[in-house]
Amino acid sequence: MAATTPVTNEDRLRRIAQITDTTLAHLDVPDLLDELLDRVRALLDADTAAVLLLDPSSTYLVATAARGVEEEVRQGVRIPVGRGFAGRIAAERRPVIIDEVDHSNVLNPILREKDVRSLLGVPLVAEGGVMGVLHVGTLTPRRFTMDDADLLQTAADRIALVTRTRLSDLDRAAASALQRSLMPGALPRVTGIEFAARYIPGDAGGLGGDWYDVFSLPSGRLGVVIGDVVGRGLQAAVIMGRLRSALRAFALEEDDPAEVLERLDGNVQHFEENVMATVLYAIFEPSLERVSLSSAGHLPPIIAQPGERSALLNLPIDLPVGVSVGPPRRTTTIDLPDHGLLFLYTDGLVERRGSPLDTGLDALCEVVRAEDAEAVCGGVLHRMIGATPVNDDVAMLVAHRLGTPSVVPLSIVVPAVTRTLSDVRSSVRRWLAAAGASPEDAADILVATGEACSNVVEHAYGPAGGTLVVQMELEGATVVGTVRDNGRWRPARGQERGRGTALIRQCSDDMDVTAGPGGTTVTFRRHLTGSSR
Amino acid sequence: MTAASVVVHPEGSAVRIVMGGEIDLENALEVEEQLTAAITNETSAVTLDLADLAYLDSAGLRVLFALGARLEVLQIEMTVLAPPGSLTRRVLQLSGFEGVAALDG
Repeated sequence: MAATTPVTNEDRLRRIAQITDTTLAHLDVPDLLDELLDRVRALLDADTAAVLLLDPSSTYLVATAARGVEEEVRQGVRIPVGRGFAGRIAAERRPVIIDEVDHSNVLNPILREKDVRSLLGVPLVAEGGVMGVLHVGTLTPRRFTMDDADLLQTAADRIALVTRTRLSDLDRAAASALQRSLMPGALPRVTGIEFAARYIPGDAGGLGGDWYDVFSLPSGRLGVVIGDVVGRGLQAAVIMGRLRSALRAFALEEDDPAEVLERLDGNVQHFEENVMATVLYAIFEPSLERVSLSSAGHLPPIIAQPGERSALLNLPIDLPVGVSVGPPRRTTTIDLPDHGLLFLYTDGLVERRGSPLDTGLDALCEVVRAEDAEAVCGGVLHRMIGATPVNDDVAMLVAHRLGTPSVVPLSIVVPAVTRTLSDVRSSVRRWLAAAGASPEDAADILVATGEACSNVVEHAYGPAGGTLVVQMELEGATVVGTVRDNGRWRPARGQERGRGTALIRQCSDDMDVTAGPGGTTVTFRRHLTGSSR
Repeated sequence: MTAASVVVHPEGSAVRIVMGGEIDLENALEVEEQLTAAITNETSAVTLDLADLAYLDSAGLRVLFALGARLEVLQIEMTVLAPPGSLTRRVLQLSGFEGVAALDG
């Protein structure tokens, strides 16, 4: 075994200076770790040096940086805390020296394979907690001293500090990327309504678990969500992402907001540990005239109408999701008049330390008016946040019904079942009104569309079912309606079907059926006369 | 979901049936059952008030045609109220329902 020469005070200072060298600060973290590991290796005359960090569950150490045993990192070596050489250091939070490595005290197969003979390891400690292990090894037997351990600990402290900073930077960057990817980039464009939304990260911890979402449902309804996962940072943002996806999935299956939130609650209680979130889910009818809402512990939206003072919606508030089994959730249906506006927000907007919640809500009601959705967002931010730092993150969403919507083509895809026929008609009615069709023209086009849809539902598919696609476009003053399926065309049979096809012909200027192996398309045109028949 | 309302008002031996909402493939059979139940052996005249009916498709028409045929066999007088300009009246006219019963406003 190699003899170690006693270390002089001068040596100690020189060695520590190598480790704490501030000129290294300009390196980015991976390079800094490599450089520190190289210096540690040189100073201690060791062959290998490695950093292992605790994984988020604190059950494993994962190799993160290594010199001399680089494959540790590439192979992602994992050592259970409490077991083996490194696991013991992390569990006991003290240096461990092994003079003679044998298989019983080293779990890492790479150290065995390399035939590492002696080991010295110290814990990485930051903010009072163990975050990993730094260890060095030699390929020839060597007796590490407590002086060596002290030096290694100095290096470990510096590594712990930069790694901690890097991890929180990464957390922030990841949370920010996640937020960006989860917030709808562009809100859906829907005839007759405009949306605007904002997300403001909190000043202290940056991003959190607030989110908003707008999606069109196959029936032509619109789903609108605002929610707030309790907590901060990457963790809250990740949970938010899961809740958002789960809610979207349930929204496809349930038509009742209370039922959607009930299922979300069940999901959170089963799969998420210690997670609580407030969520408000609203469904806009295809006509946009009515909105059904259910609130899981979320602050009520503000409703604004032209010429009236804005007010909080009088909405029963049920338990947040993730709490416990509670009384049944409730859905409230309200009328949203022409030019009316709904304002949804999270509590970060109105909660201020040392100021009652009602003060914030009153101020919000004053500033939210039934006007341009983007202008409302701007006005609210100016009034409610201004230059004051916000503690919590803030999400807000504005839904503003328009009086004279622009005519964009309508496109609906729904399951080809009778249950959806009524919703399809509502969407078509709304679109026809936006397109300026007279009641007579609208009635005819509605009948033609309805008959074409019934035909698909009744005849296009076998028991497996399929989809029904309805499109409406305005070409000049002519409405072009297209109803499509991807099933097998069957000619109309029986008096009733004959009657349906006849109605399509009678209600349109011309009608065309294209049948092929890929499905059947019925196209009809109807000039908008604007006059009574 | 398509929703229709069928409200039956007996007026002596006559019966007035007020229909509202929408009738299509989804609920036509259900509506047919309600109509069938509303007419008994004692019924002498039927008035169908369709003024509040917002939508009627060919599946609904089939129900009305079948009702008309049945009432003709039973020799029960049938009157249909469908206001001018309404979708229901338009659909009834286009399908030739006026051959079964006269349309009143």
